[in-house]
This record gives sequence, C-alpha cells and structure tokens, in this order.
Amino acid sequence: MAQKKIIKNGKAGKRSRRITLNPKLARRSFLKLSVAAAAVTGAALAPRLTKTVAAEAAKKEPYPGSKKIKTICTYCSVGCGIIAEVQNGVWVRQEIATDHPVSRGGHCCKGAGAIEMVTSEKRLKTPMKRVGGKWQKISWDQAMDEISAKLLDIRKKDGPDALHFNGSAKVSNEMAYLQRKFAAFWGSNNIDHQARI
Amino acid sequence: MIGSNAAEAHPVAMQHVLYAKEVNNAPIIVVDPRFTRLAAKATDYVRIRPGTDTAFVMGLINQIVSRDWYDKEFVRTRVAGFPEMCKVASHYTPEVVEDITGVPASEVVRIAKLMATHRPGTVVWCMGGTQHSIGSSNTRAFCILQLVLGNMGKAGGGTNIFRGHDNVQGATDMCVLSHSLPGYYGIKDGSWKHWCQVWDVDYEWIKSRFHSKEYMNKKGFTLARWYEGVNQDDKINQYTPIKALIQWGCAGNSNSQMFKAAKAMNKLELVVIVDPFAPAMCEWGDKDNIYLLPCSSQYETSGSLTSTSRQFQWRFKVVDPVYESKDDYEIMAELVKRLGFADKFYKNIKKIPEDITREICKGTLTIGYNGALPERIKKHTLNWHTFDIDTLQAKGGPCDGEYYGLPWPCWTETHPGTPILYDISKPVAKGGLPFRARFGTKITYYDGRTENLLAAEGVANPGSQVKGGYPEFKDIVPGTNWKTDLSQKTIKEAIKRGMAPFGNARARCVVWTFPDQVPVHREPVHSPRPDLIAKYPTYEDKPDQYRVYTRFKSEQDPELVKKFPFVIITGRMVEHMGGGAETRSNKYLSELQPKVYAEINERTANNLGIRNGQMVWIESPEGGRIKVMAKVTDRVDEHTIFLPYHFAGQFEGKSMVDKYPEGLAPYAVGEPANIVTNYGYDIITQIQATKDGLCNVKPA
Repeated sequence: MAQKKIIKNGKAGKRSRRITLNPKLARRSFLKLSVAAAAVTGAALAPRLTKTVAAEAAKKEPYPGSKKIKTICTYCSVGCGIIAEVQNGVWVRQEIATDHPVSRGGHCCKGAGAIEMVTSEKRLKTPMKRVGGKWQKISWDQAMDEISAKLLDIRKKDGPDALHFNGSAKVSNEMAYLQRKFAAFWGSNNIDHQARI
Repeated sequence: MIGSNAAEAHPVAMQHVLYAKEVNNAPIIVVDPRFTRLAAKATDYVRIRPGTDTAFVMGLINQIVSRDWYDKEFVRTRVAGFPEMCKVASHYTPEVVEDITGVPASEVVRIAKLMATHRPGTVVWCMGGTQHSIGSSNTRAFCILQLVLGNMGKAGGGTNIFRGHDNVQGATDMCVLSHSLPGYYGIKDGSWKHWCQVWDVDYEWIKSRFHSKEYMNKKGFTLARWYEGVNQDDKINQYTPIKALIQWGCAGNSNSQMFKAAKAMNKLELVVIVDPFAPAMCEWGDKDNIYLLPCSSQYETSGSLTSTSRQFQWRFKVVDPVYESKDDYEIMAELVKRLGFADKFYKNIKKIPEDITREICKGTLTIGYNGALPERIKKHTLNWHTFDIDTLQAKGGPCDGEYYGLPWPCWTETHPGTPILYDISKPVAKGGLPFRARFGTKITYYDGRTENLLAAEGVANPGSQVKGGYPEFKDIVPGTNWKTDLSQKTIKEAIKRGMAPFGNARARCVVWTFPDQVPVHREPVHSPRPDLIAKYPTYEDKPDQYRVYTRFKSEQDPELVKKFPFVIITGRMVEHMGGGAETRSNKYLSELQPKVYAEINERTANNLGIRNGQMVWIESPEGGRIKVMAKVTDRVDEHTIFLPYHFAGQFEGKSMVDKYPEGLAPYAVGEPANIVTNYGYDIITQIQATKDGLCNVKPA
C-alpha cells in the first residue's frame, strides 16, 4: 500500500540506487534531509530522505569489499530497518531499508544519523572515576575491582536492599533479562527502568 | 490519538496513520492540550485540559451507550461489568465533560458520533495519557471505549500504545521492574519457584540472598522515586536507606523533580553509571563516589528486541565496540564474576546472547515468548523483504505464512505469531486469540450482581473444541498450569484442541482490586481548578507505595494555583530522544535543534510582558526553577506552558558543562524541563505526573 504511494511520489524504478549518508556527500546533504524530516513526516518522507546517486558514482564503489549488515534503529519503538555498510571493521555509511515491512524505507532525522552512535567524538572512551572533583581515566580492572568491593561492603554492612538498580529500555531483551536476573541473584527487588515513567 | 505526538515521537509510524487518512478516508482525531505537529495532520483537533482524559472518554462512552451506538453483540458476548460501568459513565454528560475538560459539549457528542460511525477505529496513546495521578484510569477508559465500540480483536481496531524507547516493550516484558519477575510472573512464592526452576538454582539459595522472605515478596523502589530511598523527604519502608546506585542505560534527567535526584547524589556512597555517552548525571553532586563505565552502543553488540507491535527483530552487530568500551554482556559478566555468583548466574548460558534468548523462551510462557527462538527471529530479520506490507505475513520464502517478527504470543516453535490480539476470527494456531481468563470465572460486584466472567456460548476461535467460554488450562501435567508447565505440554495440548492456553473470557470494565473500580475523574494532585477539587478529590495518601510514603490528598492544596497559575506539560522533539545524551552528542541533530524553549501563549506573554525569544524563569511549587527562552505561540492555550524535556548541561541558570569529562559535554545543552515538573504519582503504577503540574512564569 504505502509502498506503492512512495514509488508514485518518488521516481519509480530508481529505488535501488538511492542511498543516504554517503560520507562524500556528508554534511550538507545530511542537513538537507534532516530539515526535510523535521518539516514533514509520514508517507512523503522516504523520497525526500534519499538521494539519487548518479549511475557513474555508483559504479565506482567507493567502499570496495564492504559488507552490508541488516540491523535495527536504536531510537524509538517503531523498529525501523537500517542497512549498515562496513568496510574493514569500520561502519562507513548507512542505507535506508526500502523493503522493511514496517519502516518501508522511512527514517526520521535521528535514524538517518544512526551511524553517529558509533562515530561521534563524544563517546566515552575509557572508564572514569571522579577524584578530587575531576574526572580521571582508570582501567577496567581497577573500575570493576573497586566497584565490586564497595558493593560487597555495602551489602554486608547495610543489606542487599541498600543498592538500587535502574536498568534500561535501550538494551536487548537478553540484557534486560540479565538486569532483572542480576537483582534477583543479588537479593533485592530494588530494580526498575524507563517503562515505569 | 490521545496524548500522543507521533509526528515527532514516532515519525515513521506516521506513514501508516497518514495512509489511513489519505487513502481510507479515516478521520484522525487528535486530543491534546497542545496543538502538536500531529494535530497539524489531524482532521479533527480537540483541545483538552491536561489531566482530564478520563472525563472526556467516559463522556464519549456515555454518548455511545445512551444513544444506542454501542456494539450490543460484542458487549453481550465478550464484555463483563457493562451495567456497572454505564452507571458510572452516565455522570459524564456533555455539560459535565465541558466543565471538567474545557471541550465544548457539542464537540463531545460530535466526536462520539464520529467514532461510532467510523468502525473499526483504533485508539493510540502515549505518555500524555499515562503520566498523571489517574493515568491508570485514563488507559482503562481508553480500553473500555474500544470495548463498547466493539473495536477489539479486529484489523484496524485495538488499542495501540506507541511506546517510547526502541526496546521498552521488551524490557517491560523482561520486567526490569520492582514488582515482577520476567514475563509478568509477579514476586509471590510461586513466581520465584517458577524462575528458580528455569534458572536451575535452588529456591532456598535465592531466598538466602534476600534480607528476609518479606523483602522477597515486597515491591521495591521505582525509577520514579528511588531517590526518596536516599533523601527520605517522604518516609520510607525499608530497613536501610539506599547507599549505592547502578544506573545502566537510563537518563537521570527524565525523572520529575530532577533536582531531588541530583540532591541524592552526595548522600550515596557509590554511584555507577553505565552509558555510551556522558549523561546528565555526571553534572550532579561533587563527591568522589562516582564511576563512569563506557558501554558500547547497541550497534556494537547483538540481541533481540521487541517493537511496539510486539514484533521480535534481531539487531545484528555492525562493528566491534569502539575505543575501550565493552558491550553490556561483558560488563555484566565482569561484575557478576567479582560478586561471586557467576557459576549459578550463567549455569545454562554458554553462548551469549543466544543461550540467554533460549532461557527467556523457556521461562516466559505467560506472553508466549517461548516460540520466538533466536534462529527464528534471525530468519525473520534477514528475510524482512518477504513479508507482505498489508498483512505482515510472509508470502513464500523461508518464513512462509508467518507474521513478521512473530508478534507475541508466539505459542510454539511453529506458531506464526499473533499480529492482532484477541481476534476470534482466526484459529489460535494461526494467530487468533480470545480474551484471557485471568480473573476467575465468576464475580459478585459491589452492587450485588453476579456475573459469569467467561465468554458467552457460541463465541470462540474457529476449530475450538469448546464453542464458548472456558477457563485457563491446568493439570495437564499434574500440579502445573499453562504458565508453569516448563515442558510446554499444556500449551501444545491447548493449541491442538484449537483453544487458547489462557482460556476464553470476557474483558472487564470493573477492576475490583483498584480504588476506582470503574474509571472516574479525579483532579490532578496540583489542580488549577480549586472549585473542582471538592467534587473530584484525589486519593487518600498511600503510606507504603513501592516502599515510600506517597502523598495524594495531603498534597492537594486548592490555594496552590494562586501562586502557580499555569499548567506545565512536557514532551518530545523529533530531533532528540529521552534524556538526550545520545542525540545532543550528534552534531547534526544538535545543529537542527540546539536549544530548549518554553511555549507560551501570545495572550499570556503579552499580559506578563514577555517577548518572543526573551529569557524567562519557570518556577515549580517544589522550589525548582529553570531559565529558558520563550517561544510565543498559540500551540498552547493561555493557561498552559509546554517544555521539551531532552536537555541538560545547565542547572537553574548555571552552566554545568565544566562538570563533564573534558571534551565530552554534549554539543547542545540547556535546562532540563524536569527541574520544574511537579510532585504527583499514579495511584497504581507510581508513574510520575509530568503532564498536569503547576508552575509560574516571569521574565528573567
């Protein structure tokens, strides 16, 4: 249904050549398509979110030997499909999934920038600890040793309910399950997550 | 669509909504205090006073029933407590509804007629419906509306809650919740014994891990009020205050009265934050009690997730964790190993994540996760192109005949999934279901009437051995029922007989365990209408609600509105998500939407001497205040202020950027709206009431 409409609104027959987020087009086209996403939503999204790449450029294959991986957007619960292109272990660009039965090639401005979850310079890079009011880099071993020693100390001194665990709606089912199981094995029902609020 | 702004919060879902509007000619009725971007796409917009959804919807129900527009056959055969409900609804005449909600009486009748003459119709809601002290009544009223219209169990019908985060449905199903074990089993003895069997650990050992058996069966603190376990501004019911906090993939600035959570930081002995980006919580407190652990994003790991349509998808790993980040599973393993229970915790888990999925399938029988094995989920995701976009059923290919993502309940390893709940037009084995028999077979109501709770004679799925209502299946394996029989023989037996494992009953309009057995209007805890408080007062205080004293009546002050004359509501922007640590760390999204603002009606702004773009102070009754830019607009009415809630990095006028690790503060910073959201919680769930508090506004 909507698929037909999208094709009608867009240019039928050229669907397979649409890509988003070619880093060579990079920022300008991203902003353009994000503005489109902010201004309009819904059925008209897909064609505006895409860029028809000249046949020649497509032939050049800017990322030889790259792999395309089907994955799912991490923002909202609609569960849009994303095609991630990976070359030598680096996520180089993303494509819309025109054949995903729910999103049908649609993306909002957040989903169109999913790759930034991995490429953003703002990512936390190492474990850290606040010392004298300043953040200090520490090793994983130091972090996990200190945290677990303190937790065991508090458990012994004040009991298992002295810990509260706020888990997550942003992890997989398997991890969410482990979070709940962790509280059970730790010995407390003080565990909750975003669905409460 | 009531209390939803899908155009910004779920933009891609809008293509389906707009298809209904443009191709099927469906009216899109948007009920919201604010003229949202969704309202701009509506055919009919109803402006409602915040926190009065129940009154409005009970008003619609009253019209539909009293004008004889309801689905009599559906009500006769599949609904319970109808006369009791109608009696309550009869109070909500169009005139009464107008007084409470501000919606003109004629509109109430018109919208009721619109719903009655356009069937099937669906009801969509989001946090605008739930974040109220009567949130649990609002959602029930929405469901009852669909029952009287006969819109349940049909394509194009149902109640479609558009959920927030990408896996909030799955995390809810896994019950990362203080009142239940995975699969909504609860925390009673039987529930613990069931899960101990799945985990393959001794029940006595788990019991020994708790302070006492009492605490094993006692609901814990919630995300809404955990900080009271530290601050104890309200009395707590636990033998110890909270001393340590683990915050794993959860934004602190989405808590109402956020400054109280910030205050708790210095009183904690240990704070552990696990997140891919530096979250708002790094700004809080100044003691050396806090650790930041870099987990990878979900693109750097794999696992299943459950969308808002109950569909499972496999999120395949794109790349390995970047920098020194570790994925969630690895961090958990490191922690559990050091805490000394790794052998028991991972007893049947060798391959991660697939063995965890299998353990979930083994135990989560209540909602039919058992058929959604990891191989099947992966097969669906890899072959998503083979599914029909109308029916969501695969046309040929390796998933032929199955529904995309095996929407739960997926009862067996060959079940196709259940795309529409409670649909009696299909056999159970093909994705059909009746209503669940969950609340016994018979009830005597407060008015003395006794009713059989099972579905009427002649109402069952095609092929059912029993042509009418039946209770849940049990004792196929002696001593067990369909949800505790780990061999799953009971479930298979039911499906073989063409029947639902959980029985075939009526949906109930009366919940005899709730304080309001039928939804009624109650004024918000902080009400802008003192004249209505006497008539529609809030609840009595709850001395032990999830381990903390929660004020209702003692907090409802008719004088409050004199000092805080505006209603504050919060919501989303399309460019940002939740607490915003992820999206505000994306330079493109930050450029598109760099600032927080308060939407203020033109008339209000002119009366207060506020110009568009000017800075204003917003103050809450609890003493929180924020300095934000005024956006003068008639999207809100003159009594209402709207704030997007995604921001952090500024706190009561002061920049907090220096408190982040060097260079890691997000690109876009601003005041968190939740500094000024008010006290107030739902009577059942303790969800925070961020959509009907009070505030004051003045030029800065």
